[in-house]
Amino acid sequence: MNPLLEIQGLRTVFRSANGDIPAVDGVDLSVPRGKTLGIVGESGCGKSMLSLSVMRLVPRPGRVAAGRVLLDGQNLLDLSEAGMRQVRGGQVAMIFQEPMTSLNPVHPIGLQIMEAMRAHDTKASNKELRERGLAALDRVRIPAAARRFDEFPHQLSGGMRQRVMIAMALACKPKLLIADEPTTALDVTVQAQILDLLRDLQMETGMSIILITHDLGVVAEMADEVAVMYAGRVAERGTASEIFASPQHPYTLGLLGSVPRLDEERAELLAIEGAVPPPFALPKGCRFEPRCPFAIAACRNAPPPLEEVAPGHYAACIRAPVEHSLDLAA
Amino acid sequence: MSTTVTEIVAPARPGTLKILLREPAAAVSLTLVVLVILAALLAPWLAPYDPFDTDLMAVMQPPDGKYLLGTDGQGRDMLSRMLFGLRVTLAMGALSLGIGGVIGVAMGFAAAYYRRIDGLLMRLADIMLSFPAILFGLAIAAIFGPGVTAVVIALAVATVPLMARIARSTALVVLGQDYIEAARAQGMGDARLIWRHLMPNCASPILVFATLRFGQVILLGSALSFLGLGAQPPIAELGAMAAQGRTFLFFAPHISVIPAVGIFVVVLAFNVLGDALRDALDPRLRI
Repeated sequence: MNPLLEIQGLRTVFRSANGDIPAVDGVDLSVPRGKTLGIVGESGCGKSMLSLSVMRLVPRPGRVAAGRVLLDGQNLLDLSEAGMRQVRGGQVAMIFQEPMTSLNPVHPIGLQIMEAMRAHDTKASNKELRERGLAALDRVRIPAAARRFDEFPHQLSGGMRQRVMIAMALACKPKLLIADEPTTALDVTVQAQILDLLRDLQMETGMSIILITHDLGVVAEMADEVAVMYAGRVAERGTASEIFASPQHPYTLGLLGSVPRLDEERAELLAIEGAVPPPFALPKGCRFEPRCPFAIAACRNAPPPLEEVAPGHYAACIRAPVEHSLDLAA
Repeated sequence: MSTTVTEIVAPARPGTLKILLREPAAAVSLTLVVLVILAALLAPWLAPYDPFDTDLMAVMQPPDGKYLLGTDGQGRDMLSRMLFGLRVTLAMGALSLGIGGVIGVAMGFAAAYYRRIDGLLMRLADIMLSFPAILFGLAIAAIFGPGVTAVVIALAVATVPLMARIARSTALVVLGQDYIEAARAQGMGDARLIWRHLMPNCASPILVFATLRFGQVILLGSALSFLGLGAQPPIAELGAMAAQGRTFLFFAPHISVIPAVGIFVVVLAFNVLGDALRDALDPRLRI
């Protein structure tokens, strides 16, 4: 079956006095139907800009400079603004990191859910929308939905607000849900509840999810496929089990090494030395090369292409597969 | 799989009116504003005499039992003229604030929302701001002839750039909020976004400014009338009444002083109310 969403050669740049600065630089990804793609990377690696590019909501002075975003074969970048509005919320919905500020403080949550439905259904009566809104609140397991319906955002806790956001996002039965760090701002116990909820809703509706996070634990729990991003590019991608079992890119190795684990004896956590290069001063070759313990002279020459290292598993590293380099380093 | 959800219910917050009335000065000014508006609205029923009826047997009478606030140079009842004058003054202020406010807010929102025309609109506002309102009133009066219309146009024009600036800066803050991005991600169109999300969240600073501006507009309107550009005789208007009485200032001061005090009280009440409203609507001060 062909994938639901295919991103090809996507490049998003921000205009500046010194020319265009890339935030997303030639990304190829695909999201299978009914599955979850986890996008991992540290702050500023372009994962949020990638999702905003798919929605065509890149803030000024940014813009999508090149590439294609195919949803069911339809290039979203070719759509008119009105056509794109139909896609937003209708076919592709999004939830954000900050449930505390993602709801309008002056309207009751029920009205906001109804508004989200109204954007794609101008015919339904208000009574109908209210019933559907109540059902949506029920579906995201908000207790006493009928009472909550007329409450204001400040009367709800963070977890509840994120549930409301999910209810709004799913109001029009989207095929794809983009969740941009949906649990980062929540308590750990609430995080688990929200992730459970997302998984159950996915089973129910068969939607695909793009889960953007910097939390590898969340990815391990949720994702079927994983893409690791670094400095605006995909460093490695493959199925979640592949990535976690045999990471091939040194950056992925570093990320995994920096997570504390209960099942392994390890004296100290590995840290990746240095910092992400600023987007206006990117290295000419591999962008991870300045921080890479496996770097060799050839790494500086040209950006390494994303190459298949195992069936369905791609890594952008000329030293991959890294098993032998790992032995050398150890 | 089911999950338990904890409920957290925030305590009910006191309403804006309740907070407003906590401050004695605010309570007094609100009462005054309400009384002034009521007095103006009910003038035909409250006034003991016709404001245009002259009693030549009782010219320039100081306040007494028959004429509570005395009579003016033509022997017209000052109390009745004050009530009807308040009407004209308040209507003049409300009309110019309404027209100027709507145009100004539209201009400010347009500048904030469509950044392409931001520079153009705001430079236009700067140009309008560089004209003193009184001077502009003189120009309008020269074109249309003196009268209430000229004052309303002049004050509306003087209000537009101020309103536009307030609306723009407020809208820019609101447009940066996450819920705007979330609404866009839901596929909401511009018109709905402005109506549902932008307007209600910009309302309180605009309301506060409008209240403060109302006081200023009344003062400016009275000043224009005092200069003879506004309400023409025999229409009763507070500024014009003060002007008519100034020739008799030494032997019948009440003819000028009473309307002047009226203007003073109304402007003061709106200013204090505006300040109090700003505090009451500030969520940070809300506990």
